[in-house]
Amino acid sequence: MSKWECLVCGYIYDPEMGDPDSGIEPGTAFEDLPDDWLCPECGAGKDMFEELS
Amino acid sequence: MRLLIIGNGVAGVTTARYVAERDPSIEIGLYSREPYAYYPRPRLIDFVAGKLPLEELPQYDAAWYQQRHIDVQLGRKVTALDPGERCITLADGSQERYDRLVLATGARPWVPPIPGADRDGVHTLRTLEDAVALCREARQGAPILILGGGLLGLDTALALRSYGVDVTVVEALPWLLPRQLDREGAGLLQQVCEARGVRIITGDLCAEIQGNGHVQGARLKSGAPLQAGVVLVSAGVQPKIDLAQAAGLACNRGIVVDARMQTSDPCIYAVGDAAEFGGRVWGIIPAALAQARVAAAQITGHTETVYREIVPSTTLQVTGIALTSLGEVNPEGGDYREVRYLDEANCIYKKLVIRENKVVGAILLGDRSDLAAVNQLVSRGLGVSGVAERLLEPGFDLAAFVREHGARVR
Repeated sequence: MSKWECLVCGYIYDPEMGDPDSGIEPGTAFEDLPDDWLCPECGAGKDMFEELS
Repeated sequence: MRLLIIGNGVAGVTTARYVAERDPSIEIGLYSREPYAYYPRPRLIDFVAGKLPLEELPQYDAAWYQQRHIDVQLGRKVTALDPGERCITLADGSQERYDRLVLATGARPWVPPIPGADRDGVHTLRTLEDAVALCREARQGAPILILGGGLLGLDTALALRSYGVDVTVVEALPWLLPRQLDREGAGLLQQVCEARGVRIITGDLCAEIQGNGHVQGARLKSGAPLQAGVVLVSAGVQPKIDLAQAAGLACNRGIVVDARMQTSDPCIYAVGDAAEFGGRVWGIIPAALAQARVAAAQITGHTETVYREIVPSTTLQVTGIALTSLGEVNPEGGDYREVRYLDEANCIYKKLVIRENKVVGAILLGDRSDLAAVNQLVSRGLGVSGVAERLLEPGFDLAAFVREHGARVR
């Protein structure tokens, strides 16, 4: 599973960590995040994220 | 088509990015007064806290703009615009023509007219240069006074504590984060901040900033004297409308736009902190992003895409304090009720504001695990009749409720 970076604020979503603060379990792939999940740092939507190679 | 964008903050750069993605044939010129590639302003807090080195602040590099064929002009201030001739004038006197123009000029810190506010050592925090100047002085170790207990003031206060200096925050209103919190939540947050060494004074104003050339202290309206070697004014921002106003575009507090993000000149759009829609300037990133998307859609011919007012959502940046506030948290009028959950020992406070059986606002302090579910409740306007009182009970599975109930509504 790859990490994704928020283009707005630079937050990196790491699927191994998930986003427990927003109710996202560790081990959740970025693709499996709910459509209305928001960047926990700046509130940007999923479409503002870019996959890190 | 030639599109010029003024402003390289989140609103301008996002508009450029969307336009480049949707229609690569559009020629994009992006002008910025600041000499740096795009950097996220919220990250300035991490820089101030010493968690992020200066060179890592820019989010994009020259290649990012190049790949999208965005002609970025850094350090080039736009001094005038002429809607009749459809051209802008730069500080060096040169002019550039446009077919469409986007004003993403942002906002500047508002400094109240306090006697002494022009002394050395009085700072604001908006740009990378501001952050560097603030840090340089803060490291000298003198006590720091922060005027304004909003998001920026508190985030910076907590960040500056990492230098071990004394930090005092003065908020004029009776409680902290008056736009994002109610009195009860703010009281709890104040305890958390105080436990981290930040002194908080609410319901008082700075009457005078004192010193001999450089700041030495301040006097509050209540009469209390405060020692300070550095003062940070974080009293909110003012949309930058100078260019638009001088060009005769309709302006109130911000540059007035309609749901297409169009100003009173149909060839000129405004987005982000400078734009006023429906009498409001939110001044937050989610609004800037939503508006950038609409402006880009309009410019690329997708005229059916219009702006729908966002549910404002703000989050404290500093790690260790989870706080998100969304929607209406201090409702007015009598047609609402509130559901609360308080766990004082663990500094957890949650509140939902319910109107006509729908959740219209929420505070999540100390525990944001319900954020995704609450966000859906608010943004989708799901009905909560019959269960409202139980929504915040510890055993209640809010996420499951939203899943099941949301599916039925769909």
